[in-house]
Amino acid sequence: MPPKRKAQAAVADEDSGLEDTVEAEMSDQETYDRLRSTFDVKAMSRAAKAKQPRDAASFLFKKCDQWDAPLKPDHANRPLWVDDAGRIILESFSPIFKDAQDFLINIAEPQSRVSRIHEYSLTTHSLFAAISIGQTGKEIIDTLERYSKTALSPTVIKFIEKSTGSFGKAKIVLKKTLSYIESDDPAILQRLLADNEIASCRADATVGLITEVAPKIGVMAIPGTKLAAGANQVAQQVEATAEEALAPSDNDMIAALREDDEDEEIAQVHSFQIHSEKREAVVKRCQDIGLPLTEEYDYESDQHNAKLDIDLRPHAQIRYYQEKALGKMFSNSRARSGIIVLPCGAGKTLVGITAACGVKKSCMVLCTSAMSAVQWRAEFLKWSNISSDDIAVFTSENKTVFPGNAGIIISTYTMITSTRNRSHDSEKVMKFIQDREWGLLIADEVHVVPAQIFKKVTHEIASHAKLGLTATLLREDDKIGDLNFLIGPKLYEANWQELSEQGHIAKVQCAEVWCQMTPEFYTEWLKPSSVQKRALLAVMNPRKFQACQFLIEYHERRGDKIIIFADNVFALEKYAKKLGKAYIYGDTPQAERLRILENFQHNDQVNTIFLSKIGDTSLDLPEATCLIQISSHYGSRRQEAQRLGRILRAKRRNDEGFNAFFYSLVSKDTDEMYYSSKRQAFLVDQGYAFKVITRLEGMELNTNLAFYTPQDRRELLMDILLSKETDADTENIKGDMFGSTFASTGRKGRRKANGKRTAGTLSELSGGQDMAYIEYNKSRNKELNKKAKTVNNSFLRKLQTTSSKKRVAKEL
Amino acid sequence: MVKATRGTLVKCDASIKAMLLDIDSKNGNDFIIEDLDEEHILVKETKIAQLKQRLQSMMKERLKEPESSESEA
Repeated sequence: MPPKRKAQAAVADEDSGLEDTVEAEMSDQETYDRLRSTFDVKAMSRAAKAKQPRDAASFLFKKCDQWDAPLKPDHANRPLWVDDAGRIILESFSPIFKDAQDFLINIAEPQSRVSRIHEYSLTTHSLFAAISIGQTGKEIIDTLERYSKTALSPTVIKFIEKSTGSFGKAKIVLKKTLSYIESDDPAILQRLLADNEIASCRADATVGLITEVAPKIGVMAIPGTKLAAGANQVAQQVEATAEEALAPSDNDMIAALREDDEDEEIAQVHSFQIHSEKREAVVKRCQDIGLPLTEEYDYESDQHNAKLDIDLRPHAQIRYYQEKALGKMFSNSRARSGIIVLPCGAGKTLVGITAACGVKKSCMVLCTSAMSAVQWRAEFLKWSNISSDDIAVFTSENKTVFPGNAGIIISTYTMITSTRNRSHDSEKVMKFIQDREWGLLIADEVHVVPAQIFKKVTHEIASHAKLGLTATLLREDDKIGDLNFLIGPKLYEANWQELSEQGHIAKVQCAEVWCQMTPEFYTEWLKPSSVQKRALLAVMNPRKFQACQFLIEYHERRGDKIIIFADNVFALEKYAKKLGKAYIYGDTPQAERLRILENFQHNDQVNTIFLSKIGDTSLDLPEATCLIQISSHYGSRRQEAQRLGRILRAKRRNDEGFNAFFYSLVSKDTDEMYYSSKRQAFLVDQGYAFKVITRLEGMELNTNLAFYTPQDRRELLMDILLSKETDADTENIKGDMFGSTFASTGRKGRRKANGKRTAGTLSELSGGQDMAYIEYNKSRNKELNKKAKTVNNSFLRKLQTTSSKKRVAKEL
Repeated sequence: MVKATRGTLVKCDASIKAMLLDIDSKNGNDFIIEDLDEEHILVKETKIAQLKQRLQSMMKERLKEPESSESEA
């Protein structure tokens, strides 16, 4: 088996140098792939299916034909089916839906959650997650059997047994900064030690294993919840009684399903110590031999690292789903690494902050851009009582550290992983970060981080526990599975529709507006030209422009605040200038950005802003209630979901009958149609329905729309055709993971425009020629600028107007 | 002398019309008699079948079909 040998060689490499080489990473990929293929429920069922009898209708159920599964007599009371491929179909109208859902969310990955039927799928990762939060294989099978309408098929049982048998049996824990491998079952540890490589990493000299009484599994009091009030013991009782109170007595069947099997045995744990520096190698090796280690942090008994004085402020209210998510992270009073998935605007930041308050150690927060780093800091100060000295920001503009032994540093992925030469200051901060031990690493928007980068992050930052936060755990390039091994399993995923029903996030009406291409534009589109040019033609379609204008006018009249997204900067500028609205893109200076955003939030004269890709994530605009998308990044489902997230946190969401609006403008008969259908897939799975609008009522009657005459349209067309190739390209944003080549699939960034030489007289350039200028398509940004600084003195004003006139002249 | 040609009126979207014009111009103006307005053209009756087929192949070539749901595959 050649790949295995290569992997071993690479691991050995690591042992000697502890330097991650490209080769080592490659072999990692192989490890993951092998793990994936070994534990694949579909492959297993395919093998089993060959023996199954077939009938006339079999071809309709290619994947899994369950026709011979015996239906239980009381099937009507049971809420779900499980098929051979590990797919679970759940009725959401069943009376015990809530319990079944709570159970399934632990053991399976939600695939699609529309209003009446939910679909989950059992995967190795989901089972790994279930095991790591303390469920056993037997429990899972029993509970599934109880909920299932049909008897569980042997394939599924075998699959669960096989994967749970190997997963989560052993844990890697840090105790007093030493690494231990721990397990309930000494046989597992012996099996690990039988492996030469792991044995060589062992640190303690004794032959046997260290045995101690397992820590009592208490309920971790999550700060900010009711439980935090009392001691652990009390809390436990409270919960026990609460559970009893909840159990209904009216239906015997249901009561039976809710029974809790509680084992009150005093468990023992066995462990052996490993060299801390060989930790990576051991984790890798264990994955290799099919016994992945769960990573846990016993933060309460960690005396080595200084305690950080941080607590939630009393006004911070933890919502029930945040509590659930954190409960998964902090069971048996240890912090567990993993990923929490919550929709945008549902309070991911607060979850992160609460986790930091729970661990009470030094904490590192990584986010995608400098802008969101600043926002994280503000949130920390708002929700917790941490002193502002103890929380530092490490970005290209701001390089500080905290003075004490413990504190929080907020940084960006690019800052940490940058391979270029650093300035002296940032070198110093990097050293500071590398030299200490971190209690918790919070990775915001974890889905954007490619595997190699994250490996690098974990190498640079020695953290006990890692928490990944995201709204959309998906990538177009299937690399998402790697996060399971790099950070940990998915601990919790919230149901979008449920949260919007309860008013935690806004209700959104989604619509796709089909805009006809005008004949001139379509003729041009049909001509063979570059992909970018064609995309630009589709975006700049005058009918789309008119639809956009029409929607803006309509929603401004209703009093909505509107965000318009365009990936393409050329189009963004054209639209914004023509319509006289403010716009922000990557090159907009920070000060101007903030001013525009402030105006958008507080000034009722500014109801619409145009944003480029930089607005996709982490931009907090609770005022926005309407969103129009005019161009987008191909078929990226993630972008669609993230953009929708901008209006989910709408302030007015609790008003009676309030709806936020999401429009996606698509040029008909172009590639946009194809991509748009792809993009929506994720949101449709979350239960959103897209309405298709082919004609906007009353648009033909409105003669004030831009490009109403064919003359104007032809001019626009000329403009586009004459535009440079580079204009049509999407923008590349510095310091942001989205623009980087890892995140997007292999597209080159925008080339730097070269200088242009033209002949001319000096007087002409300085405006000395007898010529009067007027600026068309004025940028609204400038106007906001002016408004901000009004000068009262008439002389100064005159001075300013002359200088600004000159500036205008220069720009033309 | 007046010459009469039998024609068929084709009513279509503006974008499809652009495609038809494109086909026409590439084939030596063999199909279209008269370009009436944004959504209407007059086409030689005898060439209708051929035009249809060409349009279909062009659409197949130029446009990506939206995928039907994969779960059925």
